Amino acid sequence: MAITEERPPLELTTGEDLAPATPPFGVFTRPSATSGWRGWLFTVDHKKIGIMYGAISFLFLLVGGAEALLIRLQLAVPGNKLLSADVYNQVFTMHGVTMVFLVVMPMAAAFANYLLPLQIGARDVSFPRMNALSLWIWVFGAIFFNTSWLLGGGADGGWFNYAPNSGVVFSPSHGIDFYAVGLLIMGIGSTVSAVNLTVTVLNMRAPGMTLMRMPVFTWMTFVVQVLLVFALPVITVALFLLMFDRLFGAAFFDASKGGDPFLWEHLFWIFGHPEVYIMILPSFGIVSEVIPVFSRKPIFGYPFMVGSGIAIGFMGWGVWAHHMFASGMGPISVLAFSLATMFIAVPTGVKILNWLATMYGGRLKFTVAMLFSIGLVGMFTIGGLSGVSHAFAPADTQQTDTYYIVAHFHYVLFGGALLGLFAGMYFWWPKAFGYFLSEKLGKWHFWMMLVGFNLTFGPMHILGLQGMMRRTYTYTQGQGFNTWNMVATIGAFTIALALVIFMWNVVSSYRKHKANPVNPGPDPWDARSLEWMIPSPTPEWNFDEVPVVEEFDEFWHRKYGHDAEGRLVQIATAEEVAQKGTAKNVHLPSPSYWPLVMSIGLPLVGYGLIFNLWWAVPGAILVIAAIFGWVLEPSTDPDAGHHDDHDDHGDDHDPSAAALESGDAVGETTDAPAETAAETEEAPVG
Amino acid sequence: MANKRRSTIAAVVGVVGVLFLGWLLIRNIGLPEGRPLTTLSPQGEKAQDIQNLIIPVFIVAGLVFIIIEVGIIWMVARFRRNKDDKDGVNEPEQVHGNTPLEIGWTIVPALLLAVLAVFNVQTIVAMDDHSADAVQVKVIGQQWWWEYRYDLDNDGKDDIITATEAAIPVGRDAVFSIQSNDVIHSFWIPALNGKKDAMPGRTHQLVLQANKAGIYQGQCTEFCGLSHGVMRMQVKALPPAEYQAWLKQMTSVPAQPLTADAKAGQELFIGQCARCHQVNGLLPTSKAPFTYSTMPIQNYGKVSQTALASRNAPNLTKFMTRDYFIGGLYPLYLDNKEYKGDGKAEVMPKGVPNVNMIRSWLRNPAEIKPMNPDNNQGMPNLGLTEQQIDQLTAYLLTLK
Repeated sequence: MAITEERPPLELTTGEDLAPATPPFGVFTRPSATSGWRGWLFTVDHKKIGIMYGAISFLFLLVGGAEALLIRLQLAVPGNKLLSADVYNQVFTMHGVTMVFLVVMPMAAAFANYLLPLQIGARDVSFPRMNALSLWIWVFGAIFFNTSWLLGGGADGGWFNYAPNSGVVFSPSHGIDFYAVGLLIMGIGSTVSAVNLTVTVLNMRAPGMTLMRMPVFTWMTFVVQVLLVFALPVITVALFLLMFDRLFGAAFFDASKGGDPFLWEHLFWIFGHPEVYIMILPSFGIVSEVIPVFSRKPIFGYPFMVGSGIAIGFMGWGVWAHHMFASGMGPISVLAFSLATMFIAVPTGVKILNWLATMYGGRLKFTVAMLFSIGLVGMFTIGGLSGVSHAFAPADTQQTDTYYIVAHFHYVLFGGALLGLFAGMYFWWPKAFGYFLSEKLGKWHFWMMLVGFNLTFGPMHILGLQGMMRRTYTYTQGQGFNTWNMVATIGAFTIALALVIFMWNVVSSYRKHKANPVNPGPDPWDARSLEWMIPSPTPEWNFDEVPVVEEFDEFWHRKYGHDAEGRLVQIATAEEVAQKGTAKNVHLPSPSYWPLVMSIGLPLVGYGLIFNLWWAVPGAILVIAAIFGWVLEPSTDPDAGHHDDHDDHGDDHDPSAAALESGDAVGETTDAPAETAAETEEAPVG
Repeated sequence: MANKRRSTIAAVVGVVGVLFLGWLLIRNIGLPEGRPLTTLSPQGEKAQDIQNLIIPVFIVAGLVFIIIEVGIIWMVARFRRNKDDKDGVNEPEQVHGNTPLEIGWTIVPALLLAVLAVFNVQTIVAMDDHSADAVQVKVIGQQWWWEYRYDLDNDGKDDIITATEAAIPVGRDAVFSIQSNDVIHSFWIPALNGKKDAMPGRTHQLVLQANKAGIYQGQCTEFCGLSHGVMRMQVKALPPAEYQAWLKQMTSVPAQPLTADAKAGQELFIGQCARCHQVNGLLPTSKAPFTYSTMPIQNYGKVSQTALASRNAPNLTKFMTRDYFIGGLYPLYLDNKEYKGDGKAEVMPKGVPNVNMIRSWLRNPAEIKPMNPDNNQGMPNLGLTEQQIDQLTAYLLTLK
């Protein structure tokens, strides 16, 4: 909350040298490189952090995809001996955990990090160093988790790791220890990131950017962060109990000692179901940005889009036990959760109909981003409908733990989340990197992926209804599973080929751009939200001057007005409206070593817990040293002495925006240019 | 306008295509032939209740599917930007929303679901109903096979202990009380009912009823470790007279081995196998039994006063009455025509005993089915000689 004071804004003479004074603390000096490998490792820039999230999660997509191909190879023919049951169990477990925690979540975080500050007109997130910390914790947690392959084998209990099969008695390798400790480490990163982005949305919006003027993507990301803040503590507790059962001989889930395996099931799914929405809502947001742009119409029913997103997030807390209809929890629980699950279909349906209504009457331009978005609408609908069919609890007792469920959630998470993320990549690629991905290769990518996806997961509906169980390393002749399994395997390799085309697209488009640079300009798609108002690639300081927002789709409305009949009339070109990216001496938070140092310490503590507690000592030393370094390192803020100063230009625009705008961030204001009410030089110190 | 014509064609092709696909699917996936685990061919009341609930849901979902997907195809054709369209000329009308429409498509699906919810509630409540004369069967899941126990006279002692294959009378409810000996398993006979988890420390009930005689295939469906994928079971529905005959056979005094081989096999069994496997009527041995079972060890059965306890390995007392063995994975008889119930009170399966598979199993069990005997999970390789394997096989064949 801004504390408003009666004092003139600070003035900054242009050209003033903002380099920090002589470093006072030697080792605590903040790094200053903004390019080269140092510029990436120590950065606190939300855009670089977002790009790293994206790139590293894409590498893990290749790892998880390779695991998927192994699964499909093993199941291609009955009685296959390619993988042993033991290896297969590790592979499908690692595939699930990798895709959920190492691919979809961080890839959505990539978009959230990159776009959220841009879409609300901010210079960075609220706590830039915390942002770097959440990235590196995730990276080292993910590497830690995957080193289990080299240290005795991966987790082998399924991503859900039901107790007591996850106990040391039944899973004596260290795989599940790596699962428990690895997810605990990554959970720290996600929690930090969720708090950071929540605060950013609440406190860092540009003047006039009220909540109900925020783009739908920002809204959905915001809902996701709130879900994360509440869901992560639950899985943290569950993983702690699991870790104590395994490493320290506790008996939380051991029925023979008075524990209860049901406890794990409930804790896991209280987290696990909101997790589904955590994975899908960012893609809903992306699609809600892409479809209006390429339909040349505003999003249909914006308040209902936002409202249904919130409703999904809220109702998502009341349906977790639908994962447990066969668990024997009793008819009253089954009844309650069955009904709740049926009705969560309503807000989801509202979203789908609103996307269709946005397209209706529009002028649809089938760019690759648009194709992926339409693909999401079509494929997610299938996943949603199969979801309704197992909301009916008695039907679910036939379907659960069969390939019907595998088909269902892949239509939701691949056909939904992943297609949406690819739509986002094609859409925002020029904004992030300053060159276009090839539309021609992109179309090959899309169609291969759509066909491959349906070939892989479509037949799984049939396999499931024919009774093929999940998590089976084999099946036999005479069960009637042969044909469709072979089709699914062919489909999986088609998807792999599509991914190869995508990677080739990235490389060849970059080469083409290097040979013959064509700048896409600030607004290559004639788009609607604030991030298109600044040059591509985004300047380090985002906005030359923070825009004052007067409407939803602010940038669009600066370009277009309506005539008397409600038809579009262009009032300005994008180039006229867009910022030039020529600002100088914008104060930005300095890079820092300490997020990285702290993140390296945590996996060492993890190895210590699993193998030998002495390993935890260097880890703990690193973490504690990083905390001290973090606190003691100097702020390079030129007016470090003015930390209590808050912006006050609330009299220029509506008071609600001003009240929400400043928060803990330090800002200073220079003279306002003609068309903006105030130029804020807001930059958080983190 | 070209777009209009194209969109109509696209929509028609879309509807026809979807209907054709649907027809192909319905034609292919519901049939039980060659699909022993299909969920869409109910053979008992409970499974039929589920079928009656899900078919209308599939129909409604199918209609919504057609509307949305064909709607997408139609719009893509109808509203596509043509090459000669110019930005700024005839731009689309800028519609921001329509509140009555939004409220409508919130309420209509909610009402539709509310109607279906009534049937859902009815079915959920009905799933636990069973008649008073229901057969009671105790089911115990363990890595990676199922044990069944029948207490015929309600004296608290189980009179029949068998594994892999349970028998129930046709037309009568059977209440399966499901427990677990180690991790969570799930008991599932798709033709007769949905699944129910076997959870350590709890007993869950599942009502099964078959309309006609036959052997119904099942599969463990909660991931339970190494051999989860091949943890199978069968429920054999017998006409009432044959069911009585089965009960009599299972509680009768076991036949004694007659041939020299079988007798030698019995000695071998007592020395090696009886550490884990029980055959009612055999005397215990001096060899120390494995002790990792968490189940209380009791004396079961009418026949023997000094029966060995079943210790996490199937009770083999009437081994040859079963149609399947090795956790339900392999048929115990070759050329055994699928049991349909012929009305004769004959309970022994027909066909030739699958001797080769018995031998392979004894030679190295872990090769047939993934196991980890070093961790007390599954049967160890006993290192038997070929002669010992012959003798044991001869003995096993006498267990009728």
